[in-house]
Amino acid sequence: MKPIPDFRHLVLAALFALPAPPADGAEPPATAGRPSHQQSARLHGDARPPPIETPPLPEGMSLDEVLDYAATPPPAGFPDSVPDDRIYAFVLVEQFEARFPTGAGSDHLGWEAQGWIGGDFHKFWWKNEGEAILDGLDEGESETDLLYSRLLTPFWNVQAGVQYANEWNRGEYDDRWSATLALQGLAPYKFELDNSLYLSEDGHLTAAIEAEYDVRITQRLVLQPRTEVGLSAQDVPERGLGAGLTDVTLDLRLRYEIKREFAPYLGLRYRFLVGETDAIAESAGEDTEEFLLLAGLRFAF
Amino acid sequence: MNPSPLSSPTGSITRRRFLATGAAAALAPVASSGAAGRAGEFGELNATAPGGIDLHLEYKSLLVGGRPGRAITINGSIPGPVIRMQEGREALIRVHNHLPESTSIHWHGILLPFTMDGVPGISFAGIDAGTIFTYRYPVRQNGTYWYHSHTGLQEQLGHYGQLILDPAGRDPVGYDVEHSVVLSDWTFEDPHRVLRKLKAIEGYYNFQRPALANLDDQMKATGKSLREVIKKRLAWDRMRMDPTDIADITGATYSYLMNGKTAEENPVFLARPGQRVRFRIVNASTMTFYDVRIPGLPMTVVQADGQDIQPVETDELRIAVAETYDVVVTQPDDRAYTLFAETMDRSGYARGTLSSRRGMEAAVPPPRRRPMLTMADMGMMLPDKEQQGASRQARPAPVRGRHPLPTTNLPDRIKHGPAGHGPASITMAETAYRRLDYPGAGLGDDGWRVLTYSQLRVLRRPYGRRAPTRQFDLHLTGNMHKYVWGFDGRKWSESDLIRFQYGERLRINMINDTMMSHPIHLHGMWMDLYAGGGLDDNPRKHTVIVQPAELLTVDITADAPGQWAFHCHLLYHMEAGMFRTVAVVRSLKGGPVEADP
Repeated sequence: MKPIPDFRHLVLAALFALPAPPADGAEPPATAGRPSHQQSARLHGDARPPPIETPPLPEGMSLDEVLDYAATPPPAGFPDSVPDDRIYAFVLVEQFEARFPTGAGSDHLGWEAQGWIGGDFHKFWWKNEGEAILDGLDEGESETDLLYSRLLTPFWNVQAGVQYANEWNRGEYDDRWSATLALQGLAPYKFELDNSLYLSEDGHLTAAIEAEYDVRITQRLVLQPRTEVGLSAQDVPERGLGAGLTDVTLDLRLRYEIKREFAPYLGLRYRFLVGETDAIAESAGEDTEEFLLLAGLRFAF
Repeated sequence: MNPSPLSSPTGSITRRRFLATGAAAALAPVASSGAAGRAGEFGELNATAPGGIDLHLEYKSLLVGGRPGRAITINGSIPGPVIRMQEGREALIRVHNHLPESTSIHWHGILLPFTMDGVPGISFAGIDAGTIFTYRYPVRQNGTYWYHSHTGLQEQLGHYGQLILDPAGRDPVGYDVEHSVVLSDWTFEDPHRVLRKLKAIEGYYNFQRPALANLDDQMKATGKSLREVIKKRLAWDRMRMDPTDIADITGATYSYLMNGKTAEENPVFLARPGQRVRFRIVNASTMTFYDVRIPGLPMTVVQADGQDIQPVETDELRIAVAETYDVVVTQPDDRAYTLFAETMDRSGYARGTLSSRRGMEAAVPPPRRRPMLTMADMGMMLPDKEQQGASRQARPAPVRGRHPLPTTNLPDRIKHGPAGHGPASITMAETAYRRLDYPGAGLGDDGWRVLTYSQLRVLRRPYGRRAPTRQFDLHLTGNMHKYVWGFDGRKWSESDLIRFQYGERLRINMINDTMMSHPIHLHGMWMDLYAGGGLDDNPRKHTVIVQPAELLTVDITADAPGQWAFHCHLLYHMEAGMFRTVAVVRSLKGGPVEADP
């Protein structure tokens, strides 16, 4: 009796029975529509190959036993053949630097770090950046993002989580939680991008766009221009933010990679406020731009 | 290696002397791991001699290039002893694991019952710390092969050695002296740290990247203007690719070894003038492709992957990780000749000296320029020529019955479909095409001959060769940015068993979607490589290089029931997931079976 082909066979057969391309000079065949090993196995499920001479078998096993064994997953006691789903962790401190203003103002310690722990596709990702007065560190601010990160495409991670931001000034302390959504990855032409959206507990929507690029001068000397742009969807007077573009930071760092994960650097920073935010600062009699010299260390572990 | 005069026409004096050392090593208790010995002082054992042999695995401090490193030694050395076997007899090997961890030995290229294949998780559970495992199997083939750990990253620590299977009949290869050449790569770093670096920082070990400082160099080498060079670089940058990404791990951390010795230590291969020397070359590296040549001496290639081939005279050959080649050269005179093994990325080399007495050496060739990938490696800008009238008909037979597939004039290219393979795959190639005549990146422009796969032809048609009746495509995929490697966009832990039907003749079309060359190795069964010949003369291989954007076809007789490993032999690619379990089963009916349930 002939077995009735099941539906999947028909679909597959239809798929592969598309008109064969004419021989020479025509479009070459395309990979789409050619069978993978699963599809091929499905198509040939009923085949009976010619008998062959039985090779030496494992001691104490018949051919049937070996063939039955082969069709099942390995015994529970066996280790993984390749532990390709291992968890890795990585920390990169991109900036750990002294910031010296060229004009008035005090010297600062600045830092920006990120790290992750996880597999190839799913990770816990954290980012932390901040700044404090170099002398005593008793006035400063920091932002910490705690994110679930998923590799969505080969070059792009989508990240979601929370941000904790705080400010301290001697006795005073202020903090803020925000929900965070980020897109981090490598853009064409090898720009590293990190774009984040923040919705604060007060309902304020802000965004930060960071982009950096490595200009390799030699195999170890690297010039890195970097820019960070802040945006706000609304006026937030208590944070001195006006709606629209708020501030722009332009950095240039020249690092020497003694090791890939140990690179001292010197740099420049120009930071200025924009639009409404600039106006707010100006009316409060604060500086609206600053120019800084940077000296620091980039390291990873 | 062997200081004694070599007068025997078959090299049997060499062999006997080796046997003596081997026996002594087998009887000796485990060497104490006190004072550091030297890597590269290995003996020879005969596994088909009565009583079999014992292999002792232990961690030992060894001097590699004069610097102490912690190695996994087999009977006290790296590489381990040369193990000989006699075709037609039974091999008996007791492996004593003195390591504080599980281990294994895989017999690379050897046909045997799958439980003897030595892959933890597939053939068996592994050899636990402090235990002894006995390998016993009939030897059904001859030629040059090798053995190595299949556990974790142990291979990187020196856990490998050469296998020589002597033929039952007359050896078609004529030679007077034979020498083992085991190429490998060594790092003083912890291999797991190496892998972590690759996962965390792209291009960690590449110190030959495009930089402003080498613009001039590239202009000179390519004859292009500054504008053109910058344009080219921007094109690569736009694709987020690095054309200098030839090797993941380089001379920045590796010491390159020949028989466990660095180039400075200069291993010596003795032959008197007029003698024919057979070099049995194994690439036991974890990650390094070598380009091997002997300046001033043509080499006659007589075996590939242990299989006798129709002799091909050449000047240089590229040996991928896990491949073996036997070459015969004639020592013409009293002078010394350099056996030069330069790494594919030109970041280092191993070398030895062929001479009639010790203490001689020849000039070491200057390093060549590091190669760069080209647009052809992305399947672009192909010369639109038909290769020897190869047809472009490639639609797999849609019928369910078994019909023989063509064995000659296979399609010369396949256009890559729109389907990507997800985040684990960066697919650049628009077209995959046959590259059997292409010697590989960085070769072919030196004015001398370079071996290609299209030159390989078996000496005798192997038994049971016929046209395949089933085929499938297998995409080699990877995300070099995140260091994820696999097949069809999946890692081993996400994959199903690849089922072969027992007794069937099967074709696999491998399509390399990545920008790197991968040595793909099938355990337990031969891969008959479509090298442009036919059933009579195409070579058979245990490991095949699949170059960037290459379409490479192998036919397999599924004559080995059981489960087998099938993987990229770059150790860190394999560890990152470029690995499959092949199951040779009775029937292909039923749904997919997870490899890692």
